[in-house]
Amino acid sequence: MHANAFFLGKGGVGKTTLSAAFGLSLARSGKKVLVASLDPAHNLGDVYGTALGDAPTPVEAGLDAMEVDLSAWVEKYLDESRRELKTTYSYAGTMNLDSFFDIMKYSPGTEEYAVLWAIEHIHCELAADYDVVVFDTPPTALSLRFLAMPAISNLWVAELTKLRERILERRTSITRVNPESAVASSCVDKDDDKVYGRLGAIRKRLAALQNLFSHESYVAVVINPDQLSVSEAIRIQDELEKIRIPLSGICVNKRGVSKADWSLDKRLRKIKTFDFGFRADGLHERGDLRTIETEELVADFMAAGPKGRA
Amino acid sequence: MNVFLRKLRSAWRIVAQVHRERAVGMLEFELKELENIFTLLLLGGFVGMPSPPAPIAIELLPLLEREIAVMLSRSDLAQDPIGALMGVLEVD
Repeated sequence: MHANAFFLGKGGVGKTTLSAAFGLSLARSGKKVLVASLDPAHNLGDVYGTALGDAPTPVEAGLDAMEVDLSAWVEKYLDESRRELKTTYSYAGTMNLDSFFDIMKYSPGTEEYAVLWAIEHIHCELAADYDVVVFDTPPTALSLRFLAMPAISNLWVAELTKLRERILERRTSITRVNPESAVASSCVDKDDDKVYGRLGAIRKRLAALQNLFSHESYVAVVINPDQLSVSEAIRIQDELEKIRIPLSGICVNKRGVSKADWSLDKRLRKIKTFDFGFRADGLHERGDLRTIETEELVADFMAAGPKGRA
Repeated sequence: MNVFLRKLRSAWRIVAQVHRERAVGMLEFELKELENIFTLLLLGGFVGMPSPPAPIAIELLPLLEREIAVMLSRSDLAQDPIGALMGVLEVD
């Protein structure tokens, strides 16, 4: 069995509802489950009928849930960087670093990294208390960007590491020939070079996240019986293939909601499909989540995984 | 005699040091260029160059004091990079 499950898909297809029902079903089968919403527009608490925050909150026996506060993660990270920068470049206090960091909140990549830090925090600090962590993700665009971020960043970090190695080699050569060179006062050894060490630490963190997505997670795409969400699912599959994250299941939610023609593309037919019927009378309370037939999906999740054990 | 030997040793040290400085001149030039490229790659996003995600640059920024100083000094030579190289090669 995998330790994590991710539900991806177009906005409004029912990712939160299925994540909540899936988590509830697992908890009622005896597993200890944490359901974490990564969507900046949270409504996991509304589905469970419980007020949720940035820390796990008990929903019922064996089931905790949380709504990750992404803006708090961005603030936390920028605060740490601001402190470190102010120590190193204290002479540049007149630069007004605070206003620079206010701009950084909106820099491309910052929100995706905030999601990664939140997932890393859950994986490293909280997951040990649970058998399974279920992630309800934001709509496709942000989800694909944060899933791709470890792979893309690692390419950059690998190149920067190679360049840093060349720099350290040159410094070593210069110091050997001319110990009185100004270069001799800078770091020449990989073990002492803080930049090299930091690059290694970043690479390790990103590799762990990449491994989490690729090998330790059950990734399901939620679609509705309409061509738009099917087209988006194909795009998700293509993007996940590029970053080597296998797609484990397709959840067709709201089956029978309309009589419009639709078909599952042949590229998606290779992946196991799970049907969830449309409920005309809606879902009003947590107990109604039990009416969603998640047994087949739960069974597949339990059977999947590196060791294929339940 | 002792004074003569001391002066000879001192002269020898100076000559050896001059040769050492000349021997590493090209390597130092290359090192500065590598450090400059490293910083430009990290911070290039600010001037429209392809660069890694900003959070990586922010994480490394506090450790790049020397590299930033090198980048700024290299920018002074940006108008005449061939001239700088010819200077190192001692081509008049």
